[in-house]
Amino acid sequence: MMKRDGQDTIIATRNLSRTYVMGNMQVTALNQVTIDIRRGEFAAIMGKSGSGKSTLLHQLGLLDTPTEGEIMIDGVDISRLSESEQTRFRLEKFGYVFQEYAILPELTALENVYLPAMALGLSQDECVTKGVDALEKVGLAERADHRPRALSGGEQQRVAIARALINKPKILFADEPTANLDSASSKQILELFRALNRDIGQTVLMVTHELEDADIVDRVIWLADGEVVEREG
Amino acid sequence: MGTKKSQMKRITSIKTDRIGKMASTTTELKVSAFLAYKFIAKGNRGTSALTILIMALAFVNLMFTTSVFDGMGDATEKQVIDTLYSNIVIEPKDDEVYIKNPDSVVKKIIHVPGVIGTSAQYVTGATIAYEERSGAWSIRAVDPDDERTVSLVPDMMIAGEYLSKYDRGEIIIGKEIAGGHGGSLEHISLGGVVVGDTVEVTFTNGVRREYRVKGIFDTNFIQSNQLAYVTEKELESVLGIHDMASQILVKTDTKGEEGRFLNQFVELGVHEDIKPWTVYAGIVATLTQSFSVLNTLTGAIGFFVAGVTIFIVIYVSTVSKRRQMGILRAIGIKESIIIRSYIFQAVFYAMCGCIAGLVIMFAILVPYFIKHPMVFPMGNVTLLIEQKAAIVRSVGLIISAAIAGFLPSWRAVRETILDAIWGD
Repeated sequence: MMKRDGQDTIIATRNLSRTYVMGNMQVTALNQVTIDIRRGEFAAIMGKSGSGKSTLLHQLGLLDTPTEGEIMIDGVDISRLSESEQTRFRLEKFGYVFQEYAILPELTALENVYLPAMALGLSQDECVTKGVDALEKVGLAERADHRPRALSGGEQQRVAIARALINKPKILFADEPTANLDSASSKQILELFRALNRDIGQTVLMVTHELEDADIVDRVIWLADGEVVEREG
Repeated sequence: MGTKKSQMKRITSIKTDRIGKMASTTTELKVSAFLAYKFIAKGNRGTSALTILIMALAFVNLMFTTSVFDGMGDATEKQVIDTLYSNIVIEPKDDEVYIKNPDSVVKKIIHVPGVIGTSAQYVTGATIAYEERSGAWSIRAVDPDDERTVSLVPDMMIAGEYLSKYDRGEIIIGKEIAGGHGGSLEHISLGGVVVGDTVEVTFTNGVRREYRVKGIFDTNFIQSNQLAYVTEKELESVLGIHDMASQILVKTDTKGEEGRFLNQFVELGVHEDIKPWTVYAGIVATLTQSFSVLNTLTGAIGFFVAGVTIFIVIYVSTVSKRRQMGILRAIGIKESIIIRSYIFQAVFYAMCGCIAGLVIMFAILVPYFIKHPMVFPMGNVTLLIEQKAAIVRSVGLIISAAIAGFLPSWRAVRETILDAIWGD
């Protein structure tokens, strides 16, 4: 049984491993990872390509199932959740920002943003109000009715962030959110994360390979060959 | 008291649970419909138009053969009624050859509401000869005025004229008897008799008479085109009988309600054999049966082809949206919502396809075949779109579409979220 951590711990993993079977070979992407993330923390997972950082984020974000180990999120042992409960958990407690601006091209910025709120059962009016609020937070309220193709890469990523924030998530996961952006847009996105963390106490867990991003976060979890290390070598 | 309270609590809890589930289902339906609407309305218009066109063609494919078969059945039924037996046939009782005093029978039924005509007539076999050629055909002897009230043959003369009440020594013949008019039975015809020629008719009682051909008719129906007509008085003189009839044809203002008239005639004291036209329409029954088998077969294949077509269309759509589906699942949208959104899309396309298909049928194909009917031995055939057939096929196509929408989207949400978003 995993030891329950202090009140401030929102994510806790114990001996988390993920092994992939590729033909006759077993590839260990994560090996006995034990970490704690505090509520309200802005943390980054960093490491070289293939170090297991995205794999770790996927396990914590319930996008994949670990081979071994335990994950406790907001006091819930997620291994006990059924598939549909995990879906609901993701909808209510998580927000995701992917590397590619993963928003639907057929929906306007506002519609993209309020879709998760709609799935929670909110009325159209509530959805619109919350959607506009979220877009205001990312500075895109005036572009609410634009379709993704009319937005720049940075703007699309901000729409994705607004969507991630709409249901007031406990944790905001970001998987290399600036990888496809120019330096100005990247800076804007990181500052947005920082502001959200500072202003509303949003817990943010971000995977990044940009070393300079380490300066903006509270803490860096370094990974190498699927294991947590003191600092990348 | 405590038990009552806990029971009440349980009931309230069950009710709340049910209301919660209903609200959740409503929310899911709402989100599915929203996504489906957006994917259709804001997706690629060309793809949507092409999908609807494919659905429309699948629907036309399903409807066309049925409409031809229904058209053939309808044409045959019309021909049997309009040129052979009218709606109801009154025949002598089993042990008698003729109906005696047919006028008395006619008087009983002529005022029945819905009866619009009667024709008492003799029917006899005869050999008709012209020059070197001859053949056995059926001759009907009619009162031409009465016959006009039950038959369309008088309006289908292609040469000469129809009979008049007091004609003697004159005969009208169908084009299959006359020959020379491109009939199907040219080889057994008289080889090209024209109006004014004289043919020799030998009746079953051995009486032989010569008749001037007064007219030749073409009903477009192979069976009625093998009939010949003389006047009632003419045949009575041949047979040496009077005031009798082999059959009385009765025309009613509606088709399909013959049973009702049959009962009324019996109640009015008609003791002869009364039969609806369907009894004589063996060819129609055989055709209808064969068409029904063909219809079922082509329908089943049509549904299968339509289903596969829709499946491919939706499959291509889901494959191209695989990543999008993965993202939706990642952000917490339930799989059932995603699957339903694809079912809604497929159903929408199928419904549009059915409507477009009906427009193609009614606006293009039906008018075309009215202008250029298909020529069959039972007559000119146009497309007949039965409401029931259209509804059955529409519903079938929509169900096929729903299944075809479900399967690929269900398969797509089976894979892991990571494979959906980042897989090959």
